[in-house]
Amino acid sequence: MKLKKFLALLCAVAMLGGLLAACSAPAADQSAAPSAATEASKAPEGGNSTAPEGNTPSGDPIRLGTIYAMSGGNAAIGENILRGIDFAVEEINAKGGVDGRPLEVVRGDHAGDPAQGKSEAERLITQEHVDIMMGCHMSTVTEVVAQVCQQYQVPMITAISTLDRLSDADHETMDYFFRLCPLNSVYVKDMLEYLKDSSEQTGEEVKTIAIFTDRAAIGQELIRCVELYKDEYGFDLVATIDYSSNATDLSAQVLALKQADPDAILCDSYIGDATLFVQTLNAQNYKPKMIVAKANGFTDPAFISNLAGAANGVASVVEFNPDLVNGVEINKEFNEKFGVNMNGHTAESYTVVWLFKAAIEAAGSTDGEAVKNALAELEIKGEFPGGRKIVLPYDTIKFENYDLAGEPHFRDNTSASVAIAQVQDGEWKTVWPFDFTDTKILYPAPLE
Amino acid sequence: MSTFLQACVNGLLMGGFYSLMGMGQNVIFGVMKIVNFCHGEMLMVGMYLTYILWSVCGLDPYLCVPIVAVLMFCLGGLIQHTLITPSLGTKSFTNLLFLTVGLGLLLSNGALVLFGSEYRTITTAYSQTNIGLGPVTLPLPRLISFGVLIVISVALFAFLKYSTTGKQIRAVSQNSVGAEVVGINTKKIYILTYGLGTALAGVAGALLTGFYTIFPTAGASFGFRALIVVVVGGLGSIPGAFLAGIFLGLLETMVALFISPSYSDLIVFVTFIVILVVRQTVIIRRK
Repeated sequence: MKLKKFLALLCAVAMLGGLLAACSAPAADQSAAPSAATEASKAPEGGNSTAPEGNTPSGDPIRLGTIYAMSGGNAAIGENILRGIDFAVEEINAKGGVDGRPLEVVRGDHAGDPAQGKSEAERLITQEHVDIMMGCHMSTVTEVVAQVCQQYQVPMITAISTLDRLSDADHETMDYFFRLCPLNSVYVKDMLEYLKDSSEQTGEEVKTIAIFTDRAAIGQELIRCVELYKDEYGFDLVATIDYSSNATDLSAQVLALKQADPDAILCDSYIGDATLFVQTLNAQNYKPKMIVAKANGFTDPAFISNLAGAANGVASVVEFNPDLVNGVEINKEFNEKFGVNMNGHTAESYTVVWLFKAAIEAAGSTDGEAVKNALAELEIKGEFPGGRKIVLPYDTIKFENYDLAGEPHFRDNTSASVAIAQVQDGEWKTVWPFDFTDTKILYPAPLE
Repeated sequence: MSTFLQACVNGLLMGGFYSLMGMGQNVIFGVMKIVNFCHGEMLMVGMYLTYILWSVCGLDPYLCVPIVAVLMFCLGGLIQHTLITPSLGTKSFTNLLFLTVGLGLLLSNGALVLFGSEYRTITTAYSQTNIGLGPVTLPLPRLISFGVLIVISVALFAFLKYSTTGKQIRAVSQNSVGAEVVGINTKKIYILTYGLGTALAGVAGALLTGFYTIFPTAGASFGFRALIVVVVGGLGSIPGAFLAGIFLGLLETMVALFISPSYSDLIVFVTFIVILVVRQTVIIRRK
């Protein structure tokens, strides 16, 4: 009997230990950030010595809070984002930090859950005392976190939350929240623009379209935006197919698409479902001529490697692509460090860290209100002071209030736009806008 | 018509997995009267084991099935012996519930720490191969998987029905005290059954890798469907679970085909609740 009790106790301890190990993994990462900073500062005579400051950052670190999914089904997305942040922080610290102070990343994990996002935001602000905040990758979580930041007057920029609603009239008073990325409607408008322009190269006009998407908020947004613009472009929406995230099977959805047989399919999925979707297309012997995805899982680095040839011909909106003029160099360095290419999420998160640096330096302090005011005034043209050219496919960053499709919006980066890339020979090649690339559209998509 | 046939085939091929998961769950429930909440995670462990065998040893995922089965059997037996058997004595349902839920969390977080959050796939020379059969397309990996799981199901029936151990398992599930009185070592049977249930989940995982992505929370959706299968097919009934699994697979695709793919989950759950309520009423009437 004693042995039994002992064994039970032992196992309970083992389980607790396992859970703690799982939970403390982020904490371990956290400590890696400052050590990376010191490592970088040891080598000022390296390639970065051209920076004007060029010396070791000292003084109190500026604490940058990040809230992304680091566990649960979307942890892969969070990992990519954090790579971009780490890369920027290391770069900035190696060049002397922000006003001579090092940047330090404090990581929060929202695990895809708004409630957890809220408690993490409160923890980071009240216990970890972060000065500035970045997040999140699910717009519903971002919204909640932005409310917490507003309450505590901590400036927050979202690098990748594209839900239009986040900057609409209801959020007019949330003046601590800024958005770098283009809005969903801008994404979708660009997707439809691409379909319209594609006839120039494919010789076939797109008339009918279908939507294939996740049932979560991202999918509802895609549907809403397509409805908003489809008449303007003269497209006939013949089917709207959705599914719940991390589906066990998508063959029913693919069959429904096959029956509708549209000229082009617009989709938005997380990585697991995106992979399963393309596999299922093959399994159901259906080859749509054009697939245009709204980034997300389709541009995850694992998408092409997981599918091998089957991904050839899939097109997607990209916020960033390694073959973009200003992306080649940074991507090379990034790939040497992490062994994967930068994607849109990574590049946008990278850019936000530099934006904070510029804003804090303009404000002259880390005081929430001062940084917020600096962000509202900030305009980056071409390149960051002391940094690189803007690595994204536009050349200006400025947060402005404006009207979109008849609705007022606040503090969005109005210059933000996207490009379209297509998987060709197992690589993302930018194919649109035509002025920015020499690569031609692969049509119809071979998917093998 | 061809779409209907294709949908039937898709439903059957997917339903087979729900069956296998449900049967594993039912073997465990039948004997120990516990709901194994980490059943989905066991499937995920089976997937990762297959992935390791494939990427490190270069084994074909289908050749991995027996190895995964043996490894998962041992893992299940170990968990039963060290964790569940001691808790069975407490007669506390909540204790076991938290134990299996906790184990599930431990396994999926463990996988996250060990393998990271990437979605992985196993590609083989035949992963893109389809077999055309009249108007119907049969993806080869799914077809092989279905074949293997039918063989496993038949073997499981035969094992429980005719082998001495199978008879002992059934005896314990009918009356554990009685079984102990006639000299059956119930603790050994517990280890065997939990190992068997775990092995079935692991095998389902191994068979899935041919066409599904591998990630730390991959088991969740399957584990949940296994619960539905078990409840619809009757707690503890192996043939019931087999049929209910196929039924669930077909129901999903038929709803998607005739109503809309958007409603397939909704209608599956509504059917699930209706079956529960109707059966409850029938049972009460009979009494």
